[in-house]
Amino acid sequence: MNALEIESISKRFDSFYAVKSLSFLIPQGTVYGLLGPNGAGKTTTIRMIMNIIIPDEGNIKVLDQSMDEEMKSRIGYLPEDRGLYPKMKVGELLLFLAGIKGLKGEKAKQEIEFWLERFDLIDWKEKKVEELSRGMQQKIQFIVTVVHQPELFILDEPFAGLDPVNTKLLKDIMLEMKEKGRTIIFSTHRMEQVEMICDNICLINKAEKVLEGNLSQIKKQHGKNTVLLEYEGQASFIKSIPGIEKIDDYGKFMEIKLKEKADPQHLLSELVGRIKINKYEIREPTLNAIFIEKVGENDGKDLSSH
Amino acid sequence: MGKILAVIKREYLQVVRTKGFIIGTLLGPILMALIIMIPILSSLIAVPEQETIGVVDSTQDIYQELDKKLDFKMKDGRRRYLLKEFEAQARVDDLRNALRQKVLDKELSAFLFIPENVGSGGKAEYVSEHVSDFSEIRSIQEALSGVVIGKRLKKEGLEPQKIAQYIERVDLKTIKLTKKGEEEEDTGGTFLISYLLVLILYMTLFFYGAIIMRSVIEEKNSRVVEVILSSLRPFQLMIGKIFGVAAVGFTQYSIWALFGLAASRYSKPLISSFVPAAEFTLPSIPAYIFVYFVVFFILGYFLYGTIYAAVGSLVNSEKEAQQLLMPVSLSLVVPMLMMAFILRSPSSSFSVILSLIPFFAPVLMLMRICILLPPFLQIAGSVVLLSLTILFMIWLTSKIYRVGILMYGKRPNIKEVVRWMRYK
Repeated sequence: MNALEIESISKRFDSFYAVKSLSFLIPQGTVYGLLGPNGAGKTTTIRMIMNIIIPDEGNIKVLDQSMDEEMKSRIGYLPEDRGLYPKMKVGELLLFLAGIKGLKGEKAKQEIEFWLERFDLIDWKEKKVEELSRGMQQKIQFIVTVVHQPELFILDEPFAGLDPVNTKLLKDIMLEMKEKGRTIIFSTHRMEQVEMICDNICLINKAEKVLEGNLSQIKKQHGKNTVLLEYEGQASFIKSIPGIEKIDDYGKFMEIKLKEKADPQHLLSELVGRIKINKYEIREPTLNAIFIEKVGENDGKDLSSH
Repeated sequence: MGKILAVIKREYLQVVRTKGFIIGTLLGPILMALIIMIPILSSLIAVPEQETIGVVDSTQDIYQELDKKLDFKMKDGRRRYLLKEFEAQARVDDLRNALRQKVLDKELSAFLFIPENVGSGGKAEYVSEHVSDFSEIRSIQEALSGVVIGKRLKKEGLEPQKIAQYIERVDLKTIKLTKKGEEEEDTGGTFLISYLLVLILYMTLFFYGAIIMRSVIEEKNSRVVEVILSSLRPFQLMIGKIFGVAAVGFTQYSIWALFGLAASRYSKPLISSFVPAAEFTLPSIPAYIFVYFVVFFILGYFLYGTIYAAVGSLVNSEKEAQQLLMPVSLSLVVPMLMMAFILRSPSSSFSVILSLIPFFAPVLMLMRICILLPPFLQIAGSVVLLSLTILFMIWLTSKIYRVGILMYGKRPNIKEVVRWMRYK
């Protein structure tokens, strides 16, 4: 069964296409990465899935049914623009937000207690939202997303602003949900997170899909001609070594894309003795590199400045 | 429906718990009571002092009678004005200076200088440090005039007492004629209370509208709106908000009404216990005025509440809203400015047309009802027109609102807003 089926949806604002005939499927129980540069149309797509805005064309099926208002209570949505009522008490706020998702009464109170305990926020239940730190508000926001036990999650940059401890907590909960057969749509700019978490991805650029599919298959398709190098020393000479197509240098880490016929062993021999090599790995490209390549194809100028 | 109820409940509790609401609800009636009570109480608290007035009677003829005439008694039985005669001297300036000094030394509170020619057009002079107490000056002027007029009449061989009877003033009793043919005495109080009702309607429309707008802006600014919309429709949020604040208004009015009822029942015995002799009647208002007040408040609330919700969805801050609110405020203020005109000719065709315009109707129709009950057809007409306008505004606003609440940043211009309506 598919948790989500999107069939050539389009949304136009005046003459500007925010999303243009976009289609993808998300199998149930998987984590799906919805990727793309800023302004690509991710938020519009998510809002259409949530029935917050209505597509001009196309169909959306959620959990095997046409998307409608009833369905909203089966989805947990964490928007990129976080927001809570600053003047409300944490407990009341959660009760209200769970209530409009259809979770009410004693059951709602129990769930709220459970999640507040789990996020170590139970002492803050009677405090106003504005008294909480940003990190705590983030956690409250996540509770809002999970408290009504949705079958489909839409998480837009869920880790933004979280410290490593809470990032781990959140990631563990995401995995837990996946194991329970829930489906997660995960939108982020952090490609290393996508690589670690997602099963399938869809990359959108300028309102249109540029890449979709199973993550490991996509990476395989991009060939085994990438070298990941961890090093110490002055490495700017590498650029002049023949057989190199592209370099992405981070100072201590470098992703090198070789030309089709180039030999990674040859490159290694060139490096030995000139820099200290801590790690030399021949593999498929990182998602980061694929992202830059795909988006850059359409929008080279924009990317060089980012 | 359950979702709308949840929104109504949240909105209601959030507003009702604010300090502003509690203070406004309690302060309103207290303020109103003070406005009514102050004149009554001030007459109690401000006990007049006995005043000694020096009199220089150049005619040598007036003082005795003036002293008799100015025989006002205070509550403790003492005279309000104690007169003290100073003999007119040849050197008038010396006497004046001496009296001036006495006034400044508080020996006298004033002195009255009556010239010899007072009977033939000469002006008497009243010199005091305080010349702004009209009632005091009027009593002295009336007493002096009475004496002088009496002298003049006697000189002509006429009987002052008879003449006073002949020229006694006729009082006018005002009676209001209504369609039912009943005649009821129209006291100024009824009008005052009616005016107060119109004013309350006008102010609360502003007040509750602003609460709705502020709430929309808060949801936009805090970005909570997207979370809410992941559970319900924009329309449900908007309607819930408007009804939530309506419940706030209902609560506030109920509390005020209770205060009002208590006041009308207990204020008379209460005041009477302070001032046994106090003579006053509490103004009464016909019940139909209250019924129409409720009708026009509800209609006005939904019309303006919807508009305020639309404005809130278009802006990012209250400051930004001010400009957009100009026409809204104007359509509330204009009727108040027209009040003087409507009062003078409540049934002129201009008044009728103005009061039928939906944006003016809540204030103007109520005003006309208070002054002179218009034909039922006109009232029904304005109610129908208002209701249709409200339905139209709700439709229009829901189209703007659903897009506006998700637009952050630059305030859209009219062209953009018109384009929003076409969005699916």
